[in-house]
Amino acid sequence: MAPTPVPVEVGKTDIDDEVVPDRPWIVLVWNDPINLMSYVTFVFQKVFGYSVEKATSLMLDVHQKGRAVVSSGAREKAEIDVFRLHEHGLWATMQQDD
Amino acid sequence: MARKRSFIPPIERVRDGFAFNIGDDEKQLITRLLTELSQLLMGESGDPRLIRIFPPAYHLADDAEADAEYQRLMREDLVASRLSGITSVNSALEAPGAVDEEAMIAFVQAINGLRLVLGTMLDVVEDHDPDDVAEDDPQVGEHHLYNFLSWLLDWAVRALSEEPVTR
Repeated sequence: MAPTPVPVEVGKTDIDDEVVPDRPWIVLVWNDPINLMSYVTFVFQKVFGYSVEKATSLMLDVHQKGRAVVSSGAREKAEIDVFRLHEHGLWATMQQDD
Repeated sequence: MARKRSFIPPIERVRDGFAFNIGDDEKQLITRLLTELSQLLMGESGDPRLIRIFPPAYHLADDAEADAEYQRLMREDLVASRLSGITSVNSALEAPGAVDEEAMIAFVQAINGLRLVLGTMLDVVEDHDPDDVAEDDPQVGEHHLYNFLSWLLDWAVRALSEEPVTR
């Protein structure tokens, strides 16, 4: 049998103890000499459902700036995105946004 | 009567899917390479030829522990996903008629997997040009193979990006 709950004091939380909401995680794709530009654009469209315009612009960012943020969100979602990009052979990593 | 075409792409979108317009010897070459890739994927996990197949997920030094956890949990899934893709590509290459979109997507992933391994072995750089490779280079054959796979992949992506044939 479950014990009878004992009333607890509430409302004593110190403001300093307030939990800071998790900063989102960002997924980055890095430039590499092997993946073709056409293939990278295709993967962005397929994995994220991005339009050809958005996928092309992200691909060009990767190509010209060396990397691009392709998605962001909770850690679990970011990890799934990274995995799907790895399934397609893209050099994708994640980090907490700062 | 069918219109005569001067150039037939190696892969094209047709009414009921996608067609491979390549010879049996080329299909056999791809199947053989994919079989080798499967063996590599099932072999030694620290094989340096596989570094681009299994990149890190967390790149910051502070997240090293998270990355070890990711590799421990996800690597097996990544291998399984690659192996099942290779199996469907091998049957697609043997199929007599057109193949569906799912098989063509598995094809681009598998061909790109081969390029990642070959490119790593050849240490290719940006704007790799096989014409720059000397004919007496011991790896000249692999450079041409890499180039052939790039050409094929580009056509496959092009076919996938086209609107379906409705006529």
